[in-house]
Amino acid sequence: MDLELNFEISRTAEFILSRGFSRVALQFPDDLLKHSTKVVTCLRNKLGSGNKVGLFVMADTTFGSCCVDEVGASHINADCVIHYGHTCLSPTSTLPAFCVFGKASISVSRCIEKLSSYVGTNGKPIVVLYGLEYAHAISQIKGALVEAMPNAEVELIFSDVMCSIINPLEDHGKSDGLVGCLAAATGTRYSLGGLTWDLPEGRRMENYLLLWIGPENSAFSNVVLTFNGSEIVRYDATEDRLVTDVSQQKRILKRRYYLVERAKDANMVGILVGTLGVAGYLHMIHQMKELIMLAGKKAYTLVMGRPNPAKLANFPECDVFIYVSCAQTALLDSKEFLAPVITPFEAMLAFSSGSQWTGTYVMEFRDLINSSQLEVRKRPEEARFSFLKGGYVEDFEPQENEGEDNDRALALANATEKALQLRDRGPDSLVKGIAKSGAEFFVTRSYHGLETHANSSMPEPYLIGRSGKASGYEDERSEPETL
Amino acid sequence: MDRCFLELRIDGEEAYQTFQRVIENVNVIMATYEDPQLGDVQVYPDKGTVAFSAGLHGWAFTLTNFAKMYASRFKVDESKMMERLWGENFFDTATRKWTTKNTGSATCKRGFVQFCYEPIKQIINICMNDQKDKLWAMLGKLKITMKSHEKELMGKALMKRVMQTWLPASDALLEMMIFHLPSPSKAQKYRVDNLYEGPLDDVYANAIRNCDPEGPLMLYVSKMIPASDKGRFFAFGRVFSGKVSTGLKVRIMGPNYVPGEKGDFVKSVQRTVIWMGKKQETVEDVPCGNTVAMVGLDQSISKTATLTNEKEVDAHPIRAMKFSVSPVVRVAVQCKVASDLPKLVEGLKRLAKSDPMVVCYMDESGEHIVSGAGELHLEICLKDLQEDFMGGAEIIKSDPVVPFRETVLERSCRTVMSKSPNKHNRLYMEARPLEEGLSEAIDEGRIGPSDDPKVRSKTLADEFGWDKDLAKKIWCFGPETTGPNMLVDMCKGVQYLNEIKDDVVTGFQVASEEGALADENMRGICFELCDVVLHADAIHRGGGQIIATARRVLYASQLTAKPRLVEPVYLVEIQAPEQALGGIYNALNQRRGHVFEEMQRPGTPLYNIKAYLPVIESFGFSSTLRAATSGQAFPQCVFDHWDMMPSDPLVPGSQAAGYVANIRKRKGLKEQMTPLSEYEDRL
Repeated sequence: MDLELNFEISRTAEFILSRGFSRVALQFPDDLLKHSTKVVTCLRNKLGSGNKVGLFVMADTTFGSCCVDEVGASHINADCVIHYGHTCLSPTSTLPAFCVFGKASISVSRCIEKLSSYVGTNGKPIVVLYGLEYAHAISQIKGALVEAMPNAEVELIFSDVMCSIINPLEDHGKSDGLVGCLAAATGTRYSLGGLTWDLPEGRRMENYLLLWIGPENSAFSNVVLTFNGSEIVRYDATEDRLVTDVSQQKRILKRRYYLVERAKDANMVGILVGTLGVAGYLHMIHQMKELIMLAGKKAYTLVMGRPNPAKLANFPECDVFIYVSCAQTALLDSKEFLAPVITPFEAMLAFSSGSQWTGTYVMEFRDLINSSQLEVRKRPEEARFSFLKGGYVEDFEPQENEGEDNDRALALANATEKALQLRDRGPDSLVKGIAKSGAEFFVTRSYHGLETHANSSMPEPYLIGRSGKASGYEDERSEPETL
Repeated sequence: MDRCFLELRIDGEEAYQTFQRVIENVNVIMATYEDPQLGDVQVYPDKGTVAFSAGLHGWAFTLTNFAKMYASRFKVDESKMMERLWGENFFDTATRKWTTKNTGSATCKRGFVQFCYEPIKQIINICMNDQKDKLWAMLGKLKITMKSHEKELMGKALMKRVMQTWLPASDALLEMMIFHLPSPSKAQKYRVDNLYEGPLDDVYANAIRNCDPEGPLMLYVSKMIPASDKGRFFAFGRVFSGKVSTGLKVRIMGPNYVPGEKGDFVKSVQRTVIWMGKKQETVEDVPCGNTVAMVGLDQSISKTATLTNEKEVDAHPIRAMKFSVSPVVRVAVQCKVASDLPKLVEGLKRLAKSDPMVVCYMDESGEHIVSGAGELHLEICLKDLQEDFMGGAEIIKSDPVVPFRETVLERSCRTVMSKSPNKHNRLYMEARPLEEGLSEAIDEGRIGPSDDPKVRSKTLADEFGWDKDLAKKIWCFGPETTGPNMLVDMCKGVQYLNEIKDDVVTGFQVASEEGALADENMRGICFELCDVVLHADAIHRGGGQIIATARRVLYASQLTAKPRLVEPVYLVEIQAPEQALGGIYNALNQRRGHVFEEMQRPGTPLYNIKAYLPVIESFGFSSTLRAATSGQAFPQCVFDHWDMMPSDPLVPGSQAAGYVANIRKRKGLKEQMTPLSEYEDRL
C-alpha cells in the first residue's frame, strides 16, 4: 500500500509546519493501528530531522473512534490532533484537528456504468453523496458521469467535502447550524456529515434522488434517517452493485419512533455522556436535564465510555437512556439493551408535551440547540395517550413552581401527603410499584444491601477487635507464612 | 314475528308452540344468571314480561295490549284476561266458553291464537292484499286512525304502517320498562353490592344504595358517543347518587384506577345533556337515577370511567364492565402518505375511546396495531378510523395477525447453565410446563402476585399438587408481573442469592415477554432456578452481569424443554338446517376446526353446532361457510381458549416452524431462530 498517498503524509506535514504545532497527537482507529508506526516514521521524515515536533500515537479512544478525542490529546498537551480513518467531522471544542479520510479503492468506470444505467431509467434530479473515504475519486466520477449521461436534462448535484481541517468553535451558539439549511442567495444549502451541497431555490430534498456511494455504515443510516422522505440508492464500491432496497434502513426509522413512545412512558432517564469532544455537548446535557425536569421525570447523568448492554444493565432503574454523542455513533439499538437508548432529538420529541413527529429527523445535536429553545409550556389539557399501554395515562406532575409564595406552606403539606400514601401491599407481595426516582426504585427491591436483623433485639456482646496492620495482625504473628 | 305471517305462514297453534319453546330456552339461559338479589328473572308472557315483536317492521305487543282490549268485551279483569291469553286456555267461538283443554271442535282455539295471533294475521293479510275497504272497517273497530297520506300506501309498506300505528314497538317496550324494571331507587339497593368496589359501608356505598340526590356524586360513564363536531365525544353514563351539573368539577377514575394512587384527573363538566332519542336537551343538572351525557370530559376518559366530586378523593371506583370476548385479532395500520402520521395517531386515540373493546397500541418494530375481537369487528373499526376519525386520509392495513404464545411440552431434558459476560457467575435452570388449569387460574386472577403467600401456597398445594414449601418460593410471575409464567427458586443454601433475586426477576420479565421462538409472550412455563455460582465480590455480580445471563439461561431452558407454540382458538356456534351440515363439516375440517357438539333444536329442522376453530384459520371463514352451505349457515365466533400446537417448531418444515418464521419475518428478526448454543454455556 502506498502509505505516502493513502495517509496524505505530505499534506499532513504541511498542515503541521504551516501552523507551527510542536506537539501533535495522531489518533488511529483500531483497524488502522497496525500502520501507525509506519505513518509516524514517514511523517517524521517528511517533517525533517531538524524539526522538534513531538508526534504521539493515540489508540483505543474512550468514545466512538469517529470523533476527535480531545481529552486524550490534552493528556499529552497536544496542540493539534491528526485524525485517521472514518470520521464524522463533528466540530471540536478546543483543539484544531486535521482529518485524513484515507482512500478506499473504487473503480470509476464500473461505478459510472452502474450509476448511469440506473440514472437513465429514473427521471428525477439527483444529489450524489458519498462516504468520505471516496472523496478522492469523486471529481473523476463527477466528470465521467456528466459525460456518460445521455441527456443533459437531468439535474445533477454533487456534494463537496466541507474541509478536512476542523477549527474549534469559539461560540457554538453563533454557528449557523452545520446541518440544516442556510438560506443562501442562490438557494438552500444542506450539509450533513461533512458534506455540503446547494439546492436551487424552491426545491426540496424530497424531489431528489439520493445517490450514496459507499458501504452501509452509520454515515449511511444517518443519511437515510435525515432524508427519510427521499428516494435513496446506494452504490457499494467493494461489491460493485447498486442497492435500491433500503427497507431495512426505513425499518430503523419506525423502530426509532417506537423508542420515542417508550421514552414517553419513562419515569427515570439516564443521560449517557457519549462524547467529551463534540462542541456543545455540555450545553446539550444541560438542556436535556432541564427538559426532563420540566417533563416531571428524574434525570441521572452517567459517564461510562462506550455503552454496552452489561454496563447499562447496572442501572436497571433507568427506563430510558439518552445518548449524547456525535451523530454517527448516536444510533444504538440492540435487543440486548434492557432500556432503549435514544438520541437527544428523540428525547425532545418524547419529553416536550404536545410535540409530534412530523417525519423530520435531526441527528446532530448542534442543530437542535439552535432550532429549539425551551419555550414555556403550559400543562397540556389532555391526558397523554400511551401507545404502549393502549390507554390514557397521567404523567407525574412536574414540580409546580408556578405557585405563588403563599402556597409554599401548602406545597410542603401536599408533598408530604403524596409521600404518605397508604401502601397496603405486604412485603411479600411480588408486585413492584412504579418508582419515580432512584431511591424509590431501590426501596422496591427485595435486597437492600446490608441485612439488619430486626428480630433479635438483644444487644450483641462486645468483642475486642484485632490490632496491628493488615499485612499481619498482632494475633496472626504466630503463623506468618501460611500463604 | 313478521316471518310467521309473511314467509313461513304457519298457523296459530304451531306459532304458539314455537314461541313457547323460545321462551323456555331464554329462561334456561336466564336461570344461569340467577341472583337471589335480583329475584325472579324468568319471563312469563302472561305477566307481561314478554313482548312479541317484528323488529324489522317496528311493531311489537305484550299480552297486556290485548288483555286491555278484550277485558271490557268479556267483562272480566284485565289480569284474568292476561292469564287466558297464554297457556292452556282455549276458547270456543261457537259455545263462547273458556276451557282448559282443547275440546277438539273446529271452533275451539287457544286463547293466544284466537285473540292475538289470528287478528294480527287477518290484518296483515288484508293489508298485503290491498283490501282497503275491509281494512278501514277493521281499523275503525280498533279505533285506529291513519293519516290521509298513509292511506295511499300499498302492500308491505301499508302493512308496516298499519301495524306500527296499531301496535307500536316503542309503547310495548316502554310499558315493559315502566312496569317491570325496578326503579333506580329500588334497584340500587341491591345493585350496590355488585357495583361498588370500595367498602360497602362507606358514605359512597350508602349514597348509591339509597339513590340519594343529596349524597356525594357517583357516576359511571359507560360509553363515549361521537358528537356531531368531529373529534369530540359525549361521555354517556348513569348517575348513581348525587347530582351532576354544568360547570361541576369532577374527579375521573379510569377502569384500572387503584384507590389511593395517582392516575385520576380533575376536569370540569362543560355541559350536561339528556339524550332523547336522536335529540339532545341541555339541562342545568341531572340528579341520580338518570342517564346523562356530558361535554368536556372526552379528553380524559379513554373508554369507561367513574366520576366523583373533585374533593372526594377517598371514593372507590364503580366496577368496570367486563366483556366476554377479548381482542385476539390485530392488524397493523399505517398511513399512505407519511405526513398523515399525526392524523393517524390522533385517529387511533379516538378509536380507542369510542369502542370499549378495541385496543390500539404500538409494537416493538414501531407499527401501529389495532386489535379487536374478530375480522368483522376490526373491519368496522378501521372504517370508522379512516372515515370518522382521520377525515378520510388513506390508510394501509396489513393482513390480520394473530398473537401466539410460547410454552413447553415437558421438563427440560437437562439442567442448562449460562455464564455471565465476565464468566464469574453461573446460573443453572430448568423449565417445565405449569400444571393444567394453572395458567387459566392465573389469568382469572385466582392465583396472582398480590395474593397472601399463605393462601396462595394452600391453593397451589390443594388444587395443583404443589409442594407447600415450593409454593412459598415463587419469586415472581411474568410477563408484566402478572402473567401465566412463574420463576421458582429451587436452590439450596446458596450464598448471596438474595442479592441477585431482583436482577434475575428483571431478566425473567423480559424473557417471558419475548420468548426464544418468535418473541411472543410465554405462557404456562414454570422456570426453576436450580443452582447458582456467584463471584464472591459484589461488584462482579451486579445487574450488568446477572440480568442478561438470566435471560439467556431462561431461553436455554425453554429450548431444551420441547418448546411449542400456543394459538388462540375460537368457539364457533353455527345454526343451520340439516342439509347444510355436510358443508359445515367440510369447511371446518379444511381449517383445522373440529365440532364437539351437534344438537337439533327441538321442534325445528335446525341444528346447533359448536366447534373449535383456530383464530388464525378463521379469516374468511364466514364467506367460505356461506359458499359451502349455499348461504344457509352463519358462524358466530368468540375467543375461547389457548391451545397448544402439536407440531414442533424446532423441526424445519413443520407447521409451527412455518408460523415462527412468519412471525420473525414480520417483526424484522433474523429468520433463523437463535440456536441453543448461543444461550447455553458449557463448563
